[in-house]
Amino acid sequence: MSIEKNISLESLSIGYGSGSKRKSILSNLNLFIRKGELLALVGSNGSGKSTLLRTISGLQAVLSGEVIIEGKRIDAWSRKEFAKIVAFVSTEWIHISNLKVRDLIALGRYPHTSWFGNLKTEDHKYVNEALEMVGMSHKAEDYFNELSDGERQRIMIARTLAQDTPIIVMDEPTAFLDLPNKYEIAHLLFRLSREKGKTILFSIHDLNIAMKEADRIWLINDRQLIEGAPEDLILNRELIKAFAVNNLEFDISSGEFFVPRKKGISIALLGSGERFDWTKKALERLEFDVDCNKSGETTVLVDDLNKQWIATINNNSVTCNSIYELSLTLKQF
Amino acid sequence: MSTTKNIRPSGASTLIRIFILVVLLLCLSVLDLFFGSVSIPLIDIIKILSGGETDSPQMVSIVTEFRLPKLATAILAGSALSVSGLQMQTIFRNPLAGPYVLGISAGASLGVALVILSLSSVVAFNYVDILGNWTLVLVAWIGAGIVLLLIFMVSLRVKDIMTILILGILLGSATSSIVSILQYFSDESMLKTYVIWTMGSLGGVTRTQLSVLAPAIGIGIIMVLASGKMLNALLLGENYAKSLGMNIRNARLLVFLSTSILAGSITAFCGPIGFIGIAVPHISKMIFKTADHRILIWGCILVGSIIMIFSDIISQLPGYQTVLPINSVTALIGIPIVLYLIIKNQRISFWA
Repeated sequence: MSIEKNISLESLSIGYGSGSKRKSILSNLNLFIRKGELLALVGSNGSGKSTLLRTISGLQAVLSGEVIIEGKRIDAWSRKEFAKIVAFVSTEWIHISNLKVRDLIALGRYPHTSWFGNLKTEDHKYVNEALEMVGMSHKAEDYFNELSDGERQRIMIARTLAQDTPIIVMDEPTAFLDLPNKYEIAHLLFRLSREKGKTILFSIHDLNIAMKEADRIWLINDRQLIEGAPEDLILNRELIKAFAVNNLEFDISSGEFFVPRKKGISIALLGSGERFDWTKKALERLEFDVDCNKSGETTVLVDDLNKQWIATINNNSVTCNSIYELSLTLKQF
Repeated sequence: MSTTKNIRPSGASTLIRIFILVVLLLCLSVLDLFFGSVSIPLIDIIKILSGGETDSPQMVSIVTEFRLPKLATAILAGSALSVSGLQMQTIFRNPLAGPYVLGISAGASLGVALVILSLSSVVAFNYVDILGNWTLVLVAWIGAGIVLLLIFMVSLRVKDIMTILILGILLGSATSSIVSILQYFSDESMLKTYVIWTMGSLGGVTRTQLSVLAPAIGIGIIMVLASGKMLNALLLGENYAKSLGMNIRNARLLVFLSTSILAGSITAFCGPIGFIGIAVPHISKMIFKTADHRILIWGCILVGSIIMIFSDIISQLPGYQTVLPINSVTALIGIPIVLYLIIKNQRISFWA
């Protein structure tokens, strides 16, 4: 299998400071990223995600070892040429009044334009394509500050597209976004890697999203970096090792983490269908010990047809019209 | 979804705005020449300007030797302070930054204070008389230059730009403490000379001095015009600017050098003129509704000149004998303008 490496790390140590004061965060990294790969960097706060991303983007010096980008050592690139290879988006939110969306994206053309930064026809073409790619053409003339968080993140991504680099590095692009936007932004990155052949390295806290979109995960745990396809890391229990701490457990079949709940009074649950499934989840959340389709002292019958719940407690039956009503009835008891 | 949008000014409407400002600038310039201790009819002023004949050679010399240099100084000071304030607000990403945040004017003030306050009254009066204002200009320039050197040395070593901002503020505090000590020990007449210097003056610049001040400001403004693209990228902060291929060290040096030339020279020749440098960048951002420095620099030059000339006109209003200190007038005129714009636009902050 031939490998087209876009980025390789060789015996790389990263961290802060210099001389005797230097503090290494991760050391002896030997890794590579393929061209067109979407790679998610996962790890707890302070594990060195940002430091690694900043080092690969040339914003921070390596402590030892090498970062090789497109076949050339990172310090052998001139700043201007490097800006045509790697684009970077930080976690920092940009708040600039009177800055138009189009002008912000046009800043991506910085390494390609002349001293005065005048845009040529080709530069305008890149800006328009970038706007289209992130689905924001209709907001081109708006002011950046008046956009929603999700829209702003799209514009920051469009800026990297205008920069026209084969590699994009992003530090937590989904942080601070609401749930739909988190999924949409992550999927946008997936599309860019597939449709534009971009090599994208991004850090993310939402493991579920990373597992759904990324080709590969770099997992930092306990000062070690472990890599593999998301599914590999589930099967070899590395993800569980990293995250299943402090009572957090992992459901290997659904691929989800959960907090195991106490089991109190037992309730017999009768019925079937989706209303039944969600009633079971609700009762477990309320810390009941749910027995499915068995009889008991306390029973809940899910009537999927009439959209009703019949709770029987000590031979008294109460009919409820919602799961919330049911939960109140059971709490009284 | 919110639908409140600002209408984006097109290239044409930017040109219209510039045209209106230029017309306003020209009108105010003529008006400025009209006001003064001797009343000269407007017709005569226009005649003198167009090189025509007038009844009195005295009038010609008042206009050409005093009022024209003062007008030119107002334009130079307004442009220089506004443009350097714009640069400082962008590089420090702080809406309260102004041309003096680096401590440039504090350095200049210390130089002037050392000369005025440390000499005995008799010596100083003679000294200042013999050399004219040049002494004060020179020591102010030297003071500003020393501060610039300090800032340069620090900015080569320091990664975080905010450290430089703090250093500038510390330098400013330290120098004003030294000035206070000097004031405490100096006699009344010297004290008054110094205090008057701190109030700023546009009228003290002679034609000869103008031939030094004008090229200095010209060079400074050309340097700023050449940094337009860099300043645009610096809006995103130094990290983004670096990732776009900018050499941060060179950019900082260029911006600090031009700011020192601009703010240092104006302080040297006119004293520390406040407020303009902080307010005008905001006003021109609101007028042009853009963050593009290649437009804002011209906006600052025009708006800065207009407000400075207007302040000069106001400072002559109390009567034909007295002139108000320009420093107070710029603040008193500028504050209502900024207040009006804040209330109208609800947006002055850098961070919207």
